[in-house]
Amino acid sequence: MKIPRLLQAVVVIAGVYFGFLIVFDYLLGAVIPKSLLTMYMFFVAAGVFMVFTYDEEKTRELVAPVKALVEDPAKRGARNLVFTLIPLLIGYSVYSQLQPGFEAPVELRTIHPAPPSTAKIYGKRVNLLSLENPFRKVEKEDPEKFAALVSDGAAVYIKNCQYCHGDKLDGKGPYAEGLNPTPLNFQDIGTIAQLQESYLFWRITTGGPGLPKEAAPWISSMPVWQNFLSEEEIWKVILFLYDYTGHRPRSWEH
Amino acid sequence: MIIIDKIAGIYSLKSNRNKLVPWVVIVLLALVLLANDAHQNTIEAAQQVAEAIEDQAAAARTHVPAPKLTAADYPTVAGVNGRLVVWVVAQLHLWFAAFVLAVPIFVFIIEAIGMRTRDKRYDDMAYEFIKVSITAYSLTAILGGLLLFSLILFYPHLFTYLSTIFSETMLYYALLFFAESAVLYLYYYGWNWLQGGFRKWVHLTLGLMLNAVGTTLMLLANAWLTFMMSPAGVDPAGVFSGDSWAAIHNFLWNPINIHRFVANIAYGGSIVGAYAAFKFLTARNQQEKAHYDWMGYNANFIAICALLPLPFAGYYLAAEIYAYSQQMGITLMGGIFAWLFIIQAVLIGTLFLSANYYLWCGMGRSDGAKRYTKYIKYIAIVLVGSFLVWFTPHTLVLTNSELKSLGGPHHSILGPLGIMPAKNTAVNIMIIFTFLSFLFYRRSNKIATVSWEKTGNICQVALFSSGIANILFLGIYHGYFTNTVYKVAASIPQVVTTLVVIVGSLVLDSFIYRKSRDVGPLHWGRIPERAQYALFLLAVAFTWLMGLMGYIRSGIRQHWHVVDIMRDASAQAFTPTLGYAANVVSVAALLFLAMVIFVFWIAQVSSSKTLPAGYWKE
Amino acid sequence: MRKFVTVIAFMVVAIGLFAGYSNFGIPQIEPAPPPIEEKIDLGSMTMDQYVALGERLFNGKGTCKLCHNSLGRAPALDAISTNAQERLDDPRYEGEATNTEEYLIESLVSPSAFVVAGFGKKGTNDTESPMPDASSGSISFSQAELTAVIAYLQDNAGLEITVEIPSDLEPVIEDDEDEDAEPREAFTEIRDIVENFDCEACHTITEEAGDAGPKLSTIGAKRDRDYLRRALLNPNADIAEGFEEDLMPDDLGQQIYASELEILLDYLTALK
Repeated sequence: MKIPRLLQAVVVIAGVYFGFLIVFDYLLGAVIPKSLLTMYMFFVAAGVFMVFTYDEEKTRELVAPVKALVEDPAKRGARNLVFTLIPLLIGYSVYSQLQPGFEAPVELRTIHPAPPSTAKIYGKRVNLLSLENPFRKVEKEDPEKFAALVSDGAAVYIKNCQYCHGDKLDGKGPYAEGLNPTPLNFQDIGTIAQLQESYLFWRITTGGPGLPKEAAPWISSMPVWQNFLSEEEIWKVILFLYDYTGHRPRSWEH
Repeated sequence: MIIIDKIAGIYSLKSNRNKLVPWVVIVLLALVLLANDAHQNTIEAAQQVAEAIEDQAAAARTHVPAPKLTAADYPTVAGVNGRLVVWVVAQLHLWFAAFVLAVPIFVFIIEAIGMRTRDKRYDDMAYEFIKVSITAYSLTAILGGLLLFSLILFYPHLFTYLSTIFSETMLYYALLFFAESAVLYLYYYGWNWLQGGFRKWVHLTLGLMLNAVGTTLMLLANAWLTFMMSPAGVDPAGVFSGDSWAAIHNFLWNPINIHRFVANIAYGGSIVGAYAAFKFLTARNQQEKAHYDWMGYNANFIAICALLPLPFAGYYLAAEIYAYSQQMGITLMGGIFAWLFIIQAVLIGTLFLSANYYLWCGMGRSDGAKRYTKYIKYIAIVLVGSFLVWFTPHTLVLTNSELKSLGGPHHSILGPLGIMPAKNTAVNIMIIFTFLSFLFYRRSNKIATVSWEKTGNICQVALFSSGIANILFLGIYHGYFTNTVYKVAASIPQVVTTLVVIVGSLVLDSFIYRKSRDVGPLHWGRIPERAQYALFLLAVAFTWLMGLMGYIRSGIRQHWHVVDIMRDASAQAFTPTLGYAANVVSVAALLFLAMVIFVFWIAQVSSSKTLPAGYWKE
Repeated sequence: MRKFVTVIAFMVVAIGLFAGYSNFGIPQIEPAPPPIEEKIDLGSMTMDQYVALGERLFNGKGTCKLCHNSLGRAPALDAISTNAQERLDDPRYEGEATNTEEYLIESLVSPSAFVVAGFGKKGTNDTESPMPDASSGSISFSQAELTAVIAYLQDNAGLEITVEIPSDLEPVIEDDEDEDAEPREAFTEIRDIVENFDCEACHTITEEAGDAGPKLSTIGAKRDRDYLRRALLNPNADIAEGFEEDLMPDDLGQQIYASELEILLDYLTALK
C-alpha cells in the first residue's frame, strides 16, 4: 500500500524532530536547546515542503486529502472535528506560553564580548590590541626554560584556578557545581582556542567585574585576579592553559 | 510574441522610410564626442578657476581640521529623527541605485548574446529589462537628491567637512550623472531605432559607455563612504592634505567596490526576476506566460551566478576590515554584531533554498527531467543540513534547565559548529549542491550521444566526491586540529576546491553533451505558480539582506562620522539593538517594494492603451 | 487584482518573518552607549566658564596653589595688576614680553626667564626659579589650558581679560588623567623620577631646593621604608612638625608606577 504523501511529509518532519531529540538528549547526553530546535525544525519543514511541492502533480497529491477534508460533503464529521481541534490546539499553546511559570527568564550572555582597545590593568593603561605574552617567545628560544615557565604556571593554576575550572581544565572543578554560569571549559574548541593571549590576560586580570556592558548580566564569579596574582604569574598561567589543552592561541600573523 | 512582432514591424517600416539613419548616427557620435570635449573643457575650465582660487588663497586658507561637534550642532527639524530619515533615504537610494547600475550590466551582456546568436528573444528581453530600470532611474535620482538634502539638513557640519575633501569628486560626480542620463536615454529610446548591422554595434557601444559611466559613478560614491570608514589623505586631526586620490583610494575602497559590484548584479537579477514573476502571474495568455517564464529563468540564472561568488567577496571585505583595524574587525564579527551574522545566515539560506526550489520547479518544463528528479531529495537533505550547520550560533540561547543539564553554556556537539571552519565548510557545500541542481536542470532536456557518456558521468561523480571530501577534510582538520592561524587560511583552499569543481564539471559536461539531442521541446510556461513566489522571496530576501548588511557596514563606525577623526556627537550616535535596526530596515524595505511595484505597474501602463469610443472628433 | 494582493501579502509576510526573527528569535543585546566625551568644547564656552576652567586648573592639575598661596613660598598672584609692569621695567628683566599677558605666559612656560628677588632656588642668586615649566613635565598644560589659567589670573587680579578663548585648538581635557593617552614608559633612573614628579619643588634632597616640605637629605636615617611609603601615597597621614597639611599632592599613587615607587623608596631609605 502506498503511503499518502501528506502522511509521508508529516512522518519525515516528525522523524527529524524526534531524531534530534533522541540523538542529542539520549544518545549523546547533550540536550539540544529548544530555541535552536525550533529554528532547525522551521527550516527542515521548509525543506520538506520544497521537496514535496516542486512538481505540480505531486503537489496535488499532497494537498488532496486536505482539499477533500475541506470540500468533500462526505467528510463532514471529520471536518467538524478537525475544525474544532485546531483552534483548541492553538488556544492551548497560547495559554501554555502565556501562563506564568517558575522558570527564571532566559539570560543571555555574550561569552566572548569584544574587548575594549585598551584596559587599565595593574594601574597601567594597556593596549589590548598589541599586547603579547612576554614569555611566548621563550618557547622557541629556550624550550627548557619554557617548560619551567609552564610548570610555574601549572603551580599557580593548581593553587588558584582548579577549584572552579578543574584539574583537567574541563570546567569541572570541585566548586563548579555551585556556580551559574558554570566555569569555562578550556578543553572545548570554542573557548581559549578561539582567542588571543591578550584576551585571556584581559579576562583573567579584570574578571567578572571587568566585563563590558554587552556581556551583561554580570553574573560571572570570576575574581579580579590582578588583585591577587602578579602580572608574571598570570602570563605563566596562560602558557599553562594552552600547553595543557594542546590548543594554540589565536594569532593574526603566521 | 504578438507585441514583439508588432514592434518589429513598426521598426522595419520606419527604417525603410528613413534612409538617413546612418548619417544621423554619425552626426550623433560626433555630437557625443563634442559633448565629451565640451565636458572636458568645462572640467578644465573649472579646474583652472579652482586652481586660481587655490593660488590666491593658498597662504591664508589651508585645509581645516574636522570640526569637534556638540549635540547642539545637529539641527532638530520639526522634531523629526534626522538619523532615521537619512538612514531610510540613503537605503532607498542605494537599493534603486544598485538596481539601476546592475541592469545595464547584464542587459549589455544579453544584448551581446542576442547579437551573437541572432535570437531576437534575447534582444527583446534586454529591452524589457532596461524598460523596467528606466523608471527606477528617475526614482534613483530623486532619492539621491533627497539624500543630499536630508544630509545637509540634519548633518550640515559633516556634509561641509566631507565636501571640503571631496569637492572635486562631487563636481565630477554631477557631470558624470548628466553623462549617465544622456547615454541611458539614448540607449533606451534608441533601442528600436539602432537595429541591424552597424547600428546595432553603435547601440552596443552605447551600452558599454553606459556601464562605464555608471560604474565610475558608483566608484566615486563608494570613495565617500569608505573614506568615512577608513579615512586617508588626512592627518589625525582631519586636516586634508589636498591629495584627492589618496582620499578616494583609501584602504577599504577596493574591497567595497568589488563586493558592491558583484552584489549589485545579483540584486538586479533578483529584482527583474520578481518583475518577470509578477508578469507571469498576471499573464493573460499562454504566450505571455512562456515569455515571462523564460525571462524569470534568465533573471534567476543571473542572480545565482552573481550570488555564488558573493560569499567570497564578503570574506575578502571582512578580512580587509580586520587588516585595517582589528578593533573594527572584532566589533564586526564578535560582540554585539555577532548575532547579526546569524540573521544574515538565515537570509542567505533563504536565498539558496528559494533559488534551488525555483530550479527544481523549472525541471517540469522538460519531459526528460524525470531522470533527475529522484536526486532532488538528496540535494535537499544536504542543503538543509549544511544550512542548519551554517546558522548554528556560537552562543546558544539556553534556558536555565538546559544550562544545568549541559553543565555550562558550552555545548559539546553544537559548540564546534558555531565557529568559522564549520560555517565555511557548510557554505562551500551549499554552493556545490546548488550548482548540482543547476547541472541537473541543464541536463534535464538533453540526451548525450557520445560513446563515453558513462565514463564521463563517473568522472563527474569522482570530481564532486573528491571536491566535497577535500572541503570536509580542510574544514575539519584545519578547523579543529591545528593552529588557529590555519582556520582562516583553510577557507582559501576550500574556495579554490569549490571553484575547481564548478568549472571542471561545466567543462566536462559540455564535452559529454556535445552533439546531444533534445528530449523534446522545452515547455516554457509549464511551471507551478509557487515557483514565482520563490522568485519574489529571492527579491525580498535580497532587499532585506542588503539593508541589514548596509546597516552593519555603516554601524561598525559606531559613534564616529569619520572613524577616529570626526565624532558623531548627536543624540542619535548610539548603536541600536539588532531588533531596532531590523525594524528600520523592514520599514525601508516595504517602502522600497511599494515603489518597485509602482515601477512595474508604470512599465505595464506605458504599453497599454485605452480607446475611448466617441471621445475624439471623428 | 487578487494576484496583486497575494503578491503584496506574500512580501509583507516574508519581511514580517525576517523582522520577527530579528526581534524575537535572537537575543537583543543593547550595545554600550558611545563613551562620554570628557573633552570640553571650547567653541561653546563663555568667558566666565573659561575663567572657571582656569581656576580649576590652577587649584587642580596645575598644583599652582601649593606655592602661590598666602604662605609666601612664591610670589603672590593677586597683585599682578601692578607687579607685572614693575617687573617688565626691572633692569634685570631680559625676557621678551612687552605686556602683562605675555609676561604671564612667559612665567608659566619658562619660569627662569625672570626670577623675582628672593624667590630663586637657593644658591643661584635668583637666576633660577624652583617652579617647573607648566607646559611640560607632570603638569603639561596644553595651549588652551595655559590661556585659561591666564584668564583666571587676570580676572582674579581685577584686570581686564585680554586673552581670547582659542577655538581652533585641541580641546582641553579636564580630567587629570588622559584616558586615551599612551601609557608612558616607567622611569628607571632616580633622577628622572624626582624630576618628573617635581619633588624638589618643595623638598630639598641633595642640593638646596624647595623648603615647602621637609628636608629629605638624610631622611633614611630617621624614617623606615613603610613610613616613607605611607608618606608618599597618603601624605596627610603623618605631618612632620612645622609643616602644612594638604600641601603635598595626594594623588601620587595614581601617577607613579609601582616600579618607580620602589626605586624611589630604595633611594630615600639609603639617604643617611
